[in-house]
Amino acid sequence: MQAEKTQTKAQNRFWRELLDGWMNVLTQPNLDTFRAQRARADPLKTVLGVGLLGLVLGLWALAIKPATLVTEMRTEAILIDLLRMIFFTEADFFIISLLLFFIARGFNGIGSFSQQSYLLSLVTVPLGMIVVAFLFVGEKLGLTLTAVLNPLSPVGVAGIFVILFALYGFLLLLFALQAAHEMQSSAVFYTFGTPLVAWGILRIASMFAAGEENVITTQWAFIADQWAKGTAQELLLGHLWLVAFSVSIAVVLGVTIGVFITWPAQRPRLSHLVILIPLALFLLLWAASSGLLGEGMADQIASTTKDWSRSLKRIDNLYFGPLLAIVAAIIAKPAAVGMIVAVFTIILYALFLAGEKAGDLTLYIAGIILTIPSVALFGAMIKPLGIGPFNAAFALILYAQLPILRNTYTGIKAVTPEIVEAGRGMGMTEAQLLLKVKLPMAVPVIMTGVRVSIVMLIGIASIAAYIGNDTLGQYIFDGITRAQEKRYYAGAILVAILALAVDYFLGWLQGRLTPEGLKGRREAA
Amino acid sequence: MIKFENVTKIYPGMSSPAVDKLSFTVPTGEICTIVGPSGCGKTTAMKMVNRLIDATDGAIFVLDERGDMSNVLKIDPIQLRRSIGYIIQQIGLFPHRTILENIGTVPQLLDWDEARIRRRAEDLVTMMNMPVEFLDRYPHELSGGQRQRIGVARGMATDPPVMLMDEPFGAIDPINRNILQNEFLRLQQEIKKTILFVTHDIDEAIKMGDKICILNVGGFLEQFDSPANILAHPANEFVEDFVGADRALKRLNLVRVEEVMNARPPLIQTTQNVEQAAGFMAEQGIRFAYVVDADRTLKGYVRVRDLKGKTGWVDEFVEPAATTIPLTTSLKDALSEMLVVDYANVCVVDAQNRVRGLIDTNMIHEAVIESAAAAEGEEA
Repeated sequence: MQAEKTQTKAQNRFWRELLDGWMNVLTQPNLDTFRAQRARADPLKTVLGVGLLGLVLGLWALAIKPATLVTEMRTEAILIDLLRMIFFTEADFFIISLLLFFIARGFNGIGSFSQQSYLLSLVTVPLGMIVVAFLFVGEKLGLTLTAVLNPLSPVGVAGIFVILFALYGFLLLLFALQAAHEMQSSAVFYTFGTPLVAWGILRIASMFAAGEENVITTQWAFIADQWAKGTAQELLLGHLWLVAFSVSIAVVLGVTIGVFITWPAQRPRLSHLVILIPLALFLLLWAASSGLLGEGMADQIASTTKDWSRSLKRIDNLYFGPLLAIVAAIIAKPAAVGMIVAVFTIILYALFLAGEKAGDLTLYIAGIILTIPSVALFGAMIKPLGIGPFNAAFALILYAQLPILRNTYTGIKAVTPEIVEAGRGMGMTEAQLLLKVKLPMAVPVIMTGVRVSIVMLIGIASIAAYIGNDTLGQYIFDGITRAQEKRYYAGAILVAILALAVDYFLGWLQGRLTPEGLKGRREAA
Repeated sequence: MIKFENVTKIYPGMSSPAVDKLSFTVPTGEICTIVGPSGCGKTTAMKMVNRLIDATDGAIFVLDERGDMSNVLKIDPIQLRRSIGYIIQQIGLFPHRTILENIGTVPQLLDWDEARIRRRAEDLVTMMNMPVEFLDRYPHELSGGQRQRIGVARGMATDPPVMLMDEPFGAIDPINRNILQNEFLRLQQEIKKTILFVTHDIDEAIKMGDKICILNVGGFLEQFDSPANILAHPANEFVEDFVGADRALKRLNLVRVEEVMNARPPLIQTTQNVEQAAGFMAEQGIRFAYVVDADRTLKGYVRVRDLKGKTGWVDEFVEPAATTIPLTTSLKDALSEMLVVDYANVCVVDAQNRVRGLIDTNMIHEAVIESAAAAEGEEA
């Protein structure tokens, strides 16, 4: 009698612990909850828990789709099918768990298989049952997964909950695996990611092997076709040249402004006119050449350049064609060029005088420029600058300013005051201090800014296709107007590849440009 | 020579001066340390010499190449700074430039050709007891002490007659600081620069300075005198407090062991036999003696009780000496060394480890009493 009671008590405690585990995991989703549960790991609990899920799954299958599960609704058949469902659930769970266990071991996981399975079951069993319940009720209410995930369907809002729920479940699985093996978060991601990536690769490979038509093969075929025609290269180079042209001007402008706003304020001097007057005269002549004085030199230059561009194209020179087109388009607008250069000169001179007093304001304005939607800026500039590369380059140069000038500013400001003081105390002029000390030391930071802005401009340059530029954005806009998925995917894929490749190249360049002595400094400090 | 004449600095927007009517003269070839609590304007005073800060009133004169005293305010600041050595803490080295480029900063500004810069830099690192290979390294590859030596070398690159040193050894650990200070003092005996040396550490000021200039908050000059005089006769309560209650002990810093040591110590030759040595020690009334070879190179020491009843040559019983001290060690360092190894006397050796004398605690004691008596005598 007494023994029986103890046994009942023990059984009660066993089930209570299991239930507690599920509740704790669902209500307190953090690493420590899982760590606490790890101590209670018990293979029997795992097997029973997963079995319970299998049973629920079996019942659900019976209730929803009896025809697929049981041919004849006899009790023995139902029982056998239920047992079969339980068995397969257990088998699936443990096979997947074993797979994850081996991968986790590969990433220096230390937990035991029993602990890992138990923690995983604590997440999958209750969540699985909730999913089953949802599907069961949903079936009755017409909430199929497709309907729920379609934002336009009447029950579309529920999709948000489904996605949140899925994310929640994924998060819990991450915690479970991390608590089981006490490994770094990145290793947890790899553990989950490896089988998925492997599956994806196998799937794609099998698609190609079978010659099946699918998203990837069609996409590949389209890009290959465009490449063979030469259109892809033309757009790619147009894209690259537009970005390269804009960035080279933007770097000069941004670094200059960045340097100016770290300066002490200057007084205007008569000697400044030595630079300002010739520049003003040049701009005046330049602007006048647009038509006030008959056929101006700019027109001549523009037509000559166009001829070069054409003749270069004739000898199938693909590579500099787009650049020449950009230069030609810009030179063809002498009045606008003159005006813009004049305005920028005035701004630069004002910043030169104001020096560090203008620092905050300048960074603030550059920040505001970045918030203007690119389509709006392109559109707004159509009237003064027309459509084409000139307009695009103007906007891109403006957008590139913030990262470049902010990083120049912070890079120079970050130079230790003692080092500047040492240089000054040894008799360096302010210009020597800047060129020999401040700028070399700021190069790594400035290059980071340039990298950021180049990658950003590669993205924005796609939109420049909207105002008639030959960039990869052409594919995207064509794809939208013609409702051809493969076109805008091609645009997006090529832009992404271009951005990654350019960023990688710039990373390498940054390493080369960083002064040798600054490289090991972090380890030394 | 550096001469301050009623130099006053009032920063814009401040009512009280940072440096107040400062007048003193640093004679050619001497080190003058400026010391005082923070906010006393010591760095401001120094920076007015190379015009990193311009004086509001008064004048500063430095000896120029032609041997004339010229007012720094009349010289172009860039030229002035290039002609004055400037040494700050090791953090002031340019991290992106090699040691060679760092040392060559001012020569490069003065358009020396590369071969000449390299030659000069090689001379300087050798002078600083460092290998020539360091020239092609970067500052972060050197230790703090090595970087500071490079900082000093950089300040001396063009061999300027006047140098400014702004807490050059401030960020170095005490052991290395002591080594660097001693090295620099030895160097100064050869190069004889006129140096203005700013520090917040009164011990460093006493050790390094031929003259000390003690400033109070507000840049007010409290006392300008030699270290011995400042320790013996503090001008007022502020100076007395500032030099500290242990100023008698600090005087130990001013005397070098070579001035008070016994230059003819009882020594035993390695060629002597045990009986001779024992007899010698009994005659001298000592329980142990240092053993040297024919060149007076130190071999170690022998004890009377080790020799008792033994026969043979002395060198079989020699034990190595735990420590020796160089000739230029201050009495304070010597005393501390003795306390560390628990010896009653220590050998004073030269650079070749040849015994030049012997010093014991009694001699140090007598030296302290003598210098106090001398100070009293001056007063009387």
